[in-house]
Amino acid sequence: MARPAPAPLYTLRGAGSALNALQFRCCGGDTPLLFSGSAQGSVHVWNLITRRAGKVLDGHSGASVIWLNTLLSRDSLISQGRDMRVCQWDLAEGRSDVTDSVWTGSVGFCRCSLLETGPGRWLLAHPGEAMEEVKVIELPSRQPVCSLVPQRKPGMVMCINLWQPDSGPGPLLLAGYEDGSLAVWDVSLRSVLSRVAAHPEPVMCLAFDPTGQRGVSGSSEKSLSSWTLDGQHRLQVSEAPGSHSPRQPWDLTTVYPGGR
Amino acid sequence: MDHQIDNPKLAFAYLRPACVLLTREPTVGNVESLSTQLRHVNDGTLQQLQDYVLFPLRFVLKIPGPKQDGLVQAVAEAMAYILENTCVHCWQTLRDLLSELCLCLCSPTDPGKPAPASEELKAAILRCLDALLHAAYGDVVFKLFEPTMLPGLGAAISLLLALGEQEKSRTVQAAALKCLQVLTLQCDCSLDHVSVGQKERHVLGSTMASFLPGITIAVSRVITGDMRHGHTVTVRAVKVWFKTVGLVMADDQLQKAGCEEKPPTELGRVGELVVQRTPDWMRNTSGRLALLLKNIISCTSAHQHWRVRLEMVNLSDHLLTNCKSSLGECVGLLLEALVGAVNDEETIVRERCEAALMDVAERSQSSDGNNQAFTDVLSENLHSLATSLPRLMRTSDDQRKMFVLNVFLGYLKILGPRVTSVLNSATHLQRLSKALMQVLELDVTDVRIVEERSSILTEETGVGPHRPHAQRKHFLYFTDERIFSTVKEICRMLGYYGNMYLLVDHLMDLFKESAVYRKQAAMVLNEVITGAAGVVVTRCQERQAKPSQEDLKSTVESIIEEYTSPSHWHLSTRISEDSESWEPEQLSQSSLLSISNDVEGKGNALQSVHAVRKNSTIHDLNSNIWQICIQLEGIGCFAHALGMDFRLILMTSLYPVLEKAGDETLLISQAALNAMWDISQACGYASLKELINENSDYLLNNVSLNLQRLGVHPHAPRVLTVMFSHSDSSLLPLVGDIVQDVLLALDMSYDETSPLFCTVLHSLMKALARWFPSGIRITNENNKAKKVWCEQDQLNVHQFLLDFHKQMELAEGIGVEEDVGTENPEIPPLTDLDEDMEGPDVKAELPYHITIAKEVMERCVHLLSDPRLRLRLKVLDVLELCVCVLSEKENELLPMAHRCWPALLLRLTADDPLAVLRAFKVLCTLGETCRDFLRKRVSKEVLPKLTASLSKQAPVSARAGPVYSHTLAYKLQLAVLQGLGSLCLRLDLGDSDLDAVTEACLPYLSCRQPPKLQEACLSVFRHLIEADPDAFWFTLNELYCPCSYSPPHPNLQPVQLSGMGVQRNEYIDNVLKLLEIFGLPQDTTSRNPKLR
Repeated sequence: MARPAPAPLYTLRGAGSALNALQFRCCGGDTPLLFSGSAQGSVHVWNLITRRAGKVLDGHSGASVIWLNTLLSRDSLISQGRDMRVCQWDLAEGRSDVTDSVWTGSVGFCRCSLLETGPGRWLLAHPGEAMEEVKVIELPSRQPVCSLVPQRKPGMVMCINLWQPDSGPGPLLLAGYEDGSLAVWDVSLRSVLSRVAAHPEPVMCLAFDPTGQRGVSGSSEKSLSSWTLDGQHRLQVSEAPGSHSPRQPWDLTTVYPGGR
Repeated sequence: MDHQIDNPKLAFAYLRPACVLLTREPTVGNVESLSTQLRHVNDGTLQQLQDYVLFPLRFVLKIPGPKQDGLVQAVAEAMAYILENTCVHCWQTLRDLLSELCLCLCSPTDPGKPAPASEELKAAILRCLDALLHAAYGDVVFKLFEPTMLPGLGAAISLLLALGEQEKSRTVQAAALKCLQVLTLQCDCSLDHVSVGQKERHVLGSTMASFLPGITIAVSRVITGDMRHGHTVTVRAVKVWFKTVGLVMADDQLQKAGCEEKPPTELGRVGELVVQRTPDWMRNTSGRLALLLKNIISCTSAHQHWRVRLEMVNLSDHLLTNCKSSLGECVGLLLEALVGAVNDEETIVRERCEAALMDVAERSQSSDGNNQAFTDVLSENLHSLATSLPRLMRTSDDQRKMFVLNVFLGYLKILGPRVTSVLNSATHLQRLSKALMQVLELDVTDVRIVEERSSILTEETGVGPHRPHAQRKHFLYFTDERIFSTVKEICRMLGYYGNMYLLVDHLMDLFKESAVYRKQAAMVLNEVITGAAGVVVTRCQERQAKPSQEDLKSTVESIIEEYTSPSHWHLSTRISEDSESWEPEQLSQSSLLSISNDVEGKGNALQSVHAVRKNSTIHDLNSNIWQICIQLEGIGCFAHALGMDFRLILMTSLYPVLEKAGDETLLISQAALNAMWDISQACGYASLKELINENSDYLLNNVSLNLQRLGVHPHAPRVLTVMFSHSDSSLLPLVGDIVQDVLLALDMSYDETSPLFCTVLHSLMKALARWFPSGIRITNENNKAKKVWCEQDQLNVHQFLLDFHKQMELAEGIGVEEDVGTENPEIPPLTDLDEDMEGPDVKAELPYHITIAKEVMERCVHLLSDPRLRLRLKVLDVLELCVCVLSEKENELLPMAHRCWPALLLRLTADDPLAVLRAFKVLCTLGETCRDFLRKRVSKEVLPKLTASLSKQAPVSARAGPVYSHTLAYKLQLAVLQGLGSLCLRLDLGDSDLDAVTEACLPYLSCRQPPKLQEACLSVFRHLIEADPDAFWFTLNELYCPCSYSPPHPNLQPVQLSGMGVQRNEYIDNVLKLLEIFGLPQDTTSRNPKLR
């Protein structure tokens, strides 16, 4: 029999409702922080030294916060809520103001994906107004870059991942759809490079490791699928790593190089 | 005498006859007339005539042959007057007068001994001598100390010493010693004195060196001699001693000893008297002085009079200031004397001593030449003191112990920052810590330590806003609390000046090494940290390196970790764990008695632990209890040491403290509460409640973690209990998921852990019942209203009769069932509750405490049928609390009551009497709130059994003896009787039920029943009378009717009651008591409305 799971180091209590998104911020000599987005639309800022919620950011008018990122800089945070908005926060010097907000128009629960293209410049991929649409915009200018709408109707876009390949001109985007298919988009060409039907049911989450060109996706039929991307950016489903997960996979955040 | 003669010529003419007369006829009268005349001449004039007026007086003294004492005394007084008011310019005069006066003092046959003259005479001559020396001019007085004068001076000194030592009169003794002091030009009186320069001082020193042995030996005999001669003489003697020694052995003189010129050779035999202060001489002298000093100090340091002790401090200070290096051997002694007086009971001594110590400490730091040597002396002293400390603590009395410890403390204060270097020596550290360990040994034989139980688990409202006072520790070797506080101060000093890491490491080693030293090591550790943080330290000197707050914090963290590690925290504190035999086996394993850390390997550990457990004596348990207490105190100390920075440590340390606050041993729970108070003060919380509320997240994290591993950490429920009892409802939202955890864990395993969880649930429900007082009282008010209504009604007989008539018409044949009084008041509470609801469609979200209560009650339903009686009893308690909490929402309570009814019924009817008792209590509580629900069930399922058992037991209890009141059957009877009345009233039982109750209870009105049962039965009837006064008036009158009722109108038939005319029987007393409720019997004829 397997040994019992080790006890958690500490349980942070007091968020008041279910949590949908987490993001660490541990840089330099600063107090390490953890951001959590709750189903009631508030973002708690946890001080990991005192292990208490310091500030509570309320910017999504009660709608569930589903995605958080720190924009790689020390004092700003980006959050996506189901109120169809993506908010950017300024947290420097104890402030907690929304500096910018983008209206996405998506009522689904597909999370955004962020890619840093240069110092202080990012690409943000977010689900669009139409069900299957993915929009890419540039931050902080909010310039729309493109809108990616597949020709076939694969249903709602469920999850996306944006990355910059080592070779090749523009950033690529992986998207999982409601019909269980995965598609690789070339953002600059606005075209689908490859498509594969990875699951029979909607894709719920995906994670991709750009160095190993491998990824894993989970679907609502409680199975995981692993696939690779070859030199021509073609998706190939490999042997499923097996295991039916006992619960519906929701969040596969990272695939480490080496595939573990 | 208002006008004095200021013309020398006039004065001369005025004085001449008296002088001439005196020369011719030396009589007392003539001397006195001269001395009266002298007083008419002013000082300046007298100065000019000094030689002239002195001549006849000296002439008298020089007359050969024996003289009258009176004459000599008069002469001496007159001379003293002259000398006091004039100066002596002439060396000749000074020398002659000195020798003449000395001659008067000494016996004519043996010039070395004082004359057997009267005290007055001696006092007068000494006064004269004193005046002479004061009057001597600077240039002449130093001639006294030339080598040629040595014989004369020596004679004078030895004479004075003899007087000081052997004289019986204190005044003469003191005066002689004072003269001696003046003779060395070190007078401290208020008159003008010759100023002594560096060079003159040197001469003085050299000369006095010749007499040093004589003076010091004789004077020390005076000091150490008869204690009865009063403090003035002793003080004076001490003064002479140290002034002389200070003069001769002065460092600044002796350092120049090498360049001293050879004594002039022409002195002849006198030259032999001259002492050369060579280094050799210095060493010898210092050695001898050390011996004398030892005697002196031992006599004076414990002297009763504070002036003597003060003088002793002055002595130490003076010698340490002036002769530190020349008196090398004495420095240790002097310091000891000085530091011993630091805590003198007399403020002046204390202050003087502190100032002296400050000087010493500062001097020793500033001069680096002798610094090392000085430190060595100090550390050597400290070492030897530490060595002898345990022995002294065992053997000497409290006074002496106090002195020794003060000396110890004093050394640390003088060493100041150099304590660090002293402690760097391993032997010193070892010796010091061992001494403290032995001194602080606790007396753990008191049985009460383990006996006394805390009541926190049963207490309703937790502990009030005041901290309990700390328990006093009992030490093996001392009882005085002041001694303990001195030891604590010593530890703090060590922490303040010493290297914190070194000390903490060493003490932690001791702590871990063996159980023998564990308690003491913890005590010392606590104080060391307090000292290191600089809290409660009476500052002496600034220390060099204060440990940074960060260092302090990490040290404290590691100590607390050690303190709260299972082997030091979960010690067995109870003789047997039988009372909690249901606790999992791991618990008893984890709470092992730790005797020593090096048990023979891990494999054997368990066995040996069990072996030890069996043999654990009260002694061991007490020791464990004290250890935990000391560790708790430590956490309090650390909190004070760190202040606000302790808040971060609360994450790990608050939970263990609360664990102990819920401990069953009084001592431990009090210590824990004290620690909590310390923590809240240090961290800036106003109360324990605030402390717990603000840190509930830290606590709950640990609680939830440990609830999942109850086998290993069985104390989580206790912590919850403590939290609940100190906190308020604001805790509830946070506790929510913990409660869910508890319930979930309970669902998972009903078998092993349910008793533990029941404890949690019990404390939770108790807290809820306290935080949300239920509405049970409302029903009580309704009852009162009903009563008032009834009484008002009683007054209006006419209206009653009309109503009654109407009723009779309406309910022909149905009769009693539809009584007015019982139906109406029952409806309002129901409608009230309905109105409270926001409407049938909107299902409002339930308050959280209601939800919890519901869930808990759900579990109770299952646990009610547990085979373990203890558990069942506990569950019944929980159930009662659930009912209380839920009573505010009847809509929620009723379904739950419905669910638990079958199980409760079983407890009421077919269970252990103890359980029946509790179940009946629950039933009563339940009856307060849901009467409609219960009415039918009670009348159908419960009442028959209860009444049957009451009826069955009635004859038994009527016959029973006094022992019966200790039986369970009696208790059951009592409980049922006490609850039955109110239950019937609350439930509005029907008449048939009431009849059954009456029938069962009537036997208990008998005076043969035990008094308490009678009383309980009376209460049943009182309630029943409230429910239906008429019926019970009638019933009672059937038993006994005290008066007859004649009808008010002849047409009415006379009233016939079966109780009328009955002879006295066993029921009469109680029936009469009950009938009083209805009013006095004689009035009833006209007013009683209760006729049918």
